[in-house]
Amino acid sequence: MRRNCKTGELFCRNSDFNNDIIPNDHGKMLNNILELRIQGRPMADGPTPADKQKGLQLHLKKCIERVAKKRDKAAFESLFEHFAPLLRAYSFAREPGASLMADELAQVVLIKIWEKAHTYNSNKASVNTWVYTLARNSRIDLLRRNGRYTTEIDPEYLWQDLEDESADPFVSMQHKRTEKTISDAFEHLPPDQQQVIAKVYLEGKTHQESADELGLPLGTIKSRIRLALQKLQLVVRR
Amino acid sequence: MLVNHHPDSERLTAFSAGSMPLSQALCVSAHLEMCPDCRADLDSLNKLGSHVFNQMKPSRVSNDLKQSVFKQLNDTQTHDPVSNSPARNETGRVASGVPKCLFQFIDDDYDSLDWHWVSPSIRQANLCVDGNGAHVALLRIKPGGKASHHTHMGEEITMVLKGAFSDESGIFQQGDFVVRGSNDKHRPIATKDSECICLTVLDAPIQFTGYFSRWLNPLLRRAHP
Repeated sequence: MRRNCKTGELFCRNSDFNNDIIPNDHGKMLNNILELRIQGRPMADGPTPADKQKGLQLHLKKCIERVAKKRDKAAFESLFEHFAPLLRAYSFAREPGASLMADELAQVVLIKIWEKAHTYNSNKASVNTWVYTLARNSRIDLLRRNGRYTTEIDPEYLWQDLEDESADPFVSMQHKRTEKTISDAFEHLPPDQQQVIAKVYLEGKTHQESADELGLPLGTIKSRIRLALQKLQLVVRR
Repeated sequence: MLVNHHPDSERLTAFSAGSMPLSQALCVSAHLEMCPDCRADLDSLNKLGSHVFNQMKPSRVSNDLKQSVFKQLNDTQTHDPVSNSPARNETGRVASGVPKCLFQFIDDDYDSLDWHWVSPSIRQANLCVDGNGAHVALLRIKPGGKASHHTHMGEEITMVLKGAFSDESGIFQQGDFVVRGSNDKHRPIATKDSECICLTVLDAPIQFTGYFSRWLNPLLRRAHP
């Protein structure tokens, strides 16, 4: 397996990701979908990673819809197989070695997926992005309740309503374009920029903590983030 | 609403990543409620988060975890009581433009808070202290009221919730997000047409630098233990 050594153990390459994460039956389901999707097209080299990603997204979306409408446990199992290992990894990225917390986070988020599937809006975000926001909010809440950081502020309403608002159709067109753009462009970022983005997003480190851990000035951390966002064309105005 | 001053992209990234002190996140959240442009940027940044989230090396899951999750699944659709029924006193808070992220501190409108006297034209209501020691408060400046010249020991974030103020570097209106570092010495003045209410997060107590107001420093330190 080829790993991006500069960003440490947190990442694996896109191509490894699919093999690693999808257990057999889930994988089979996915392959069926892929075959359906690309019927009638010559398949000399098999599906490309991009095709797989697309197929996976479509599959996850259908699972969410089945969970929302039919309370379908088989569909939920598919979601479990895909997200539980990522959720554990996301918890370990913040609290290395905290196995109980990793299970707790996975559990909390998966049950939220089951309970809130009807609020998922595919025009607004992909399933991945929706689950990422659930995971982020739940991790903050869990850290707070476990006393890992003390604060009198309840994080619940800081993110939720902003991101649950219904989308306008133009925005949703734009979001489809950018999701693809982001994954393509991210791989071409210099490793030092990828590393800072990973620290901030996965390890949940503040800019100052990232600076301390990497032995870099705070300004360098900020400029790496800024440069990465520029290259990814993520933030329009600033 | 025309918002002119926004959190910079690094700060918005930290918000999207959930990697900033919650006191700062409170200010960013209040800004986002008033700024559709930044909400659109947040959407994009969340996609970046979801991309790196998806690229993590998966961590093996035990059967116990799976069983425990499946045991907790209800067959019936549960509806989120929070999002479907309006909370108590919602009208007072919505009518006075209190951002949703501050509902946890404000039961009714701004008047319902416990305002302390700071100077003839300024009142302050302390909301809470964050884990990192930052003080979260609301400041209320009378129309045309002037604050004293001051600098900060640390960083000060100000979110204008109502009205407008100006200082040496410009005019700041409802929705504007302003950051002042420890080297900025400034003297905010509320505009004459209305009172100005700001949410402020202060890393460390401010220092008054004016000749007459320096005596306030020890008092202020007592108010911010």
